[in-house]
Amino acid sequence: MLGYRFLSKLKHVLRPRPTPSVGFARSQEAQAVANKLEVFIDDQKVVVDPGTTVLQACAMAGVEIPRFCYHDRLSVAGNCRMCLVEVEKSPKPVASCAMPVMNGMRVKTDSPVSRKAREGVMEFLLVNHPLDCPICDQGGECDLQDQSMAFGGDKSRFVDNEYTGKRAVEDKDIGPLVKTIMTRCIQCTRCVRFASEVAGVEDLGTTGRGNDMQIGTYVEKLFASELSGNVIDLCPVGALTGKPYAFTSRPWELRRVESIDVMDACGSNITIGMRSGEVMRIVPRVNEEINEEWICDKARFAIDGLSVQRLTSPMVKSPEGYLENCDWEDALFCAAEKITRAGAGNVAAVAGSLVDAESLVALRDFLHRLGSETLTVNSEHPSDHLVNDLRASYIFNSGIVSVEDADHVLFIGGNPRLDAPVLNARVRKCWIHNELEVSLIGQDVDLTYHHNHLGETLSTLEQLLDGSHAFAKTMYAAKRPLIIVNGKILCGENGSRVQDLALKLANKLSQQHAEDGWNVYNVLQTEASRVAALDLGYKSSSKSALTKQTKVLYLLGADDEVINRADLADDCFIIYQGHHGDRGAAIADLVLPGACYTEKNATYVNTEGRAQQTRQAATPPGLAREDWKIIRALSEICGVTLPYSSLSTARQRLCEVSPSFSRYGDQEEALFFQQVVSLSEDSSESGATNEKLTNDMKDLSHFYMTNSISRASRTMAKCVQAFKDKD
Amino acid sequence: MSSSQITTRISQQVVKPLISTSNAEAKRRVLKLYRAWYRQAPFVVLEYDIPIGEKEVRAKVREQFEKNKHVTDMRVIDMLVLKGQMELKETANIWKQKNHVMNYFKETEVKKTDDFLTNFYEGHHV
Amino acid sequence: MIRKLILAAAENSIQHRDSPENNSNTKFEFTPENLKRAETIISNYPKGHEAAACLPLLDLAQRQNDNWLPISAMNYVAKLLGMANMRVYEVATFYTMYNRQPVGKYHVQICTTTPCMLGGVGSDVIMETIQKKLKIKPGETTPDNMFTLSEVECLGACVNAPMIQVNDDYYEDLTVEDTNKVFDDLIAGRKPKPGPMSGQNHRFSCEPKGGLTSLTSPPTGPGFGVRSDL
Repeated sequence: MLGYRFLSKLKHVLRPRPTPSVGFARSQEAQAVANKLEVFIDDQKVVVDPGTTVLQACAMAGVEIPRFCYHDRLSVAGNCRMCLVEVEKSPKPVASCAMPVMNGMRVKTDSPVSRKAREGVMEFLLVNHPLDCPICDQGGECDLQDQSMAFGGDKSRFVDNEYTGKRAVEDKDIGPLVKTIMTRCIQCTRCVRFASEVAGVEDLGTTGRGNDMQIGTYVEKLFASELSGNVIDLCPVGALTGKPYAFTSRPWELRRVESIDVMDACGSNITIGMRSGEVMRIVPRVNEEINEEWICDKARFAIDGLSVQRLTSPMVKSPEGYLENCDWEDALFCAAEKITRAGAGNVAAVAGSLVDAESLVALRDFLHRLGSETLTVNSEHPSDHLVNDLRASYIFNSGIVSVEDADHVLFIGGNPRLDAPVLNARVRKCWIHNELEVSLIGQDVDLTYHHNHLGETLSTLEQLLDGSHAFAKTMYAAKRPLIIVNGKILCGENGSRVQDLALKLANKLSQQHAEDGWNVYNVLQTEASRVAALDLGYKSSSKSALTKQTKVLYLLGADDEVINRADLADDCFIIYQGHHGDRGAAIADLVLPGACYTEKNATYVNTEGRAQQTRQAATPPGLAREDWKIIRALSEICGVTLPYSSLSTARQRLCEVSPSFSRYGDQEEALFFQQVVSLSEDSSESGATNEKLTNDMKDLSHFYMTNSISRASRTMAKCVQAFKDKD
Repeated sequence: MSSSQITTRISQQVVKPLISTSNAEAKRRVLKLYRAWYRQAPFVVLEYDIPIGEKEVRAKVREQFEKNKHVTDMRVIDMLVLKGQMELKETANIWKQKNHVMNYFKETEVKKTDDFLTNFYEGHHV
Repeated sequence: MIRKLILAAAENSIQHRDSPENNSNTKFEFTPENLKRAETIISNYPKGHEAAACLPLLDLAQRQNDNWLPISAMNYVAKLLGMANMRVYEVATFYTMYNRQPVGKYHVQICTTTPCMLGGVGSDVIMETIQKKLKIKPGETTPDNMFTLSEVECLGACVNAPMIQVNDDYYEDLTVEDTNKVFDDLIAGRKPKPGPMSGQNHRFSCEPKGGLTSLTSPPTGPGFGVRSDL
């Protein structure tokens, strides 16, 4: 209770700060007001900045101009001509997406000239577009369909009733995720621009010329990008559609549920398309502070793993050593018996990567009530020297959006491209537009942009710290540097050494060189549950749970290879609670089926410390139950009933532990960075510095299967296969 | 005001009869209603075309009456008799539908509970 | 009919398909002198804009490789210029002067655009003559890999219509006899003199039929018509 009061006093300090970009914009504001331009959109006055395009000015006036090739987040191509508008004193209609405004410009968006221009363009586009809407997966959410209804002509001049043939283009095979029906392509080149600008994989292009122009790869090739699925959303027609989603449902049949992705720790915002209790597809939802409007392929396509390998009934190990179905009562009583017999200190729990905050707090309270303190996250870290007592030591302090203002990013360990694809896309964007410099310590990987590879060992960090490294000068010249430490490195062999050195470097940078109030030290967690678990006091090393003392080991969705039967006593009873029959269930004596992230309303905290919630789209299959309820039920049977029996009361409990759990969508600023540094100094240990920083994400084939859901997914398996067959 | 005080006050009040003036009269009304229901039973079976015999209907009528056998206050008895008459009229005039009658024979219905564990076993959402 | 269409589409497709003579493992490398030339070409453009040398380098590669560009040559150029392979493919497929399939020793391009069709004996006649002579149709190569015949649009020699281009040389003002003679020479291994042929009486260039009507006198020297005191 004391903790809660202390934190509630801090509430005013913990309010989210304004994003830095706003601050920087403000300094230029006064200057900008002077040279604003005045334009008239359909006689309505709009004041805009110089350099704004006519299309953007129209959007400000509330007039939406039809477009195919123009997209906010891509460069301007100006090749579809759909956005033609009449501008007074201009002899021809102008392409509004590529035309910068001029002072006093008068734009007529709905004049006969504009309308005729659009109708003409639309007619040309439809000349060679197949009339296969009834069998097209884009039907219902097709820009061409919608815009031909809204802006196209009202009669047809199609006279080719003999059907001598429209233009036909052969389909390309660009991998197991994106299906291509290239005859439908209208050559807007959005996919080409996305691939080269955002994804950084220049595999797509336009070949040929004139009527024979095609979008494709020219040579048969896999579109090998972790963000490839986004071209499906970008494609205004049905040329690029989801291969696993093909012919499964129509957009108007889907119920949309706004949720959160848990495949990585970024917490990308997603919309789940659900039909009759089944998750049909996942598409991104715009969140400027996290994922803009992209999501990675794992988030989008691993959903077929949600319906296979599921645990649908409680299971208990028979004397013959087989797991056999039983009912909940038997399972819970069996668990309770083992737990009560084990005695207070001998129960341990390990939380896996996809666990929500509600069940984490329930498990914590349950074990505390049993008198056990052994709660850990699933990590190989050998000791408890890692400083995780204060939030600033394990979250992405400055926020993902801060990359936009940074002038130097230093990645320590891991492969950010595959650990957090949406973050890497943002870094790439800034590398292109802001002249951001990026460097990497650890195994060198393809980040899709140029970066300085400083070294592979800890000694590189030491050299940077004492200034002897050749690159130290550039590093210290940075005004707004970001150090991004990979969460997996911190969990590794020499995690605490990395943490200590990175903290010292960050401290040195922020004290001597960086601007005031700029957070240098950031941790990029890779597991969706990690920050919430650390917030709730889970220890960062599984070692304390895996001792011979442990009589009952409670695995809450812990599926990674960290847990081995061999580390435990022979008579140790393993309870696995989770949603997939994966590694955890394989070693368990008792299996309690839980719900996965699309089947529960649950709280997840992303790597920035931002609490967000998933929403229920489907019901847990069979006898599976929501995770926190399982723990709550078990606690009642063990005689230590948890004092919450509804979701809202469980969340109140979360809020008691830390109010940040209830501020959905907000990023809390982590304080006490200095204290983290001094804590780390106290606990630092010395060791060899020539050890290499390990990395398990070398290329795309390691990206697709990282957790129990994606390991169960056929689509992801196909991706791994396709990537391996590539060469 | 405590509850014992309330009971004292009520017991001191003069009882204002509803219809019956004595317990005997109230009993007569109950028996009259019971007889009417008893005679109605074959018609209920016939008119509602229910998969239940006369015997079971009569047993159900008896069960419904016996449900209230603890009632001694004649005003309450009168009120229950009135309700029974209404029910009878609705049944006899076919103002009900088959399922309304069958509702009396629904024995599988389980009351919702607030008990967490029960709900958990059943898979009910709280 | 449809089968024919499909075959034709596959033939002219701008999608690359690996074949024994054209795949990413086909050996291609600039010869030392061409590499030197390539470096000179690249140095014509500012640093950081090496991609601008894409067109000339592809041309150089094509010349070195018997007048056609295998996929490996495109990859080689891409690597040389630090471009993505796809960006080079885009360029190579856009321009019709890059042959992405093997061609004969002599790539014969006959212009059939309106001025050539109407000028002189007309390109129809020339086309017929060539087809008869080489026994191939446009788009085909002779079995001995000597000639590839292509029907092309305007090559910019309209005043000397009709005309054909054989590799880099223009043969203009053609008649049936001229055409036959050109091909006889080529088959015999001689190189016929390029330029205007007998169609307009072996004129020097593209001057009018009845002799020059202007610029008949020698050009004036420097200082012509300038004030004496300047």
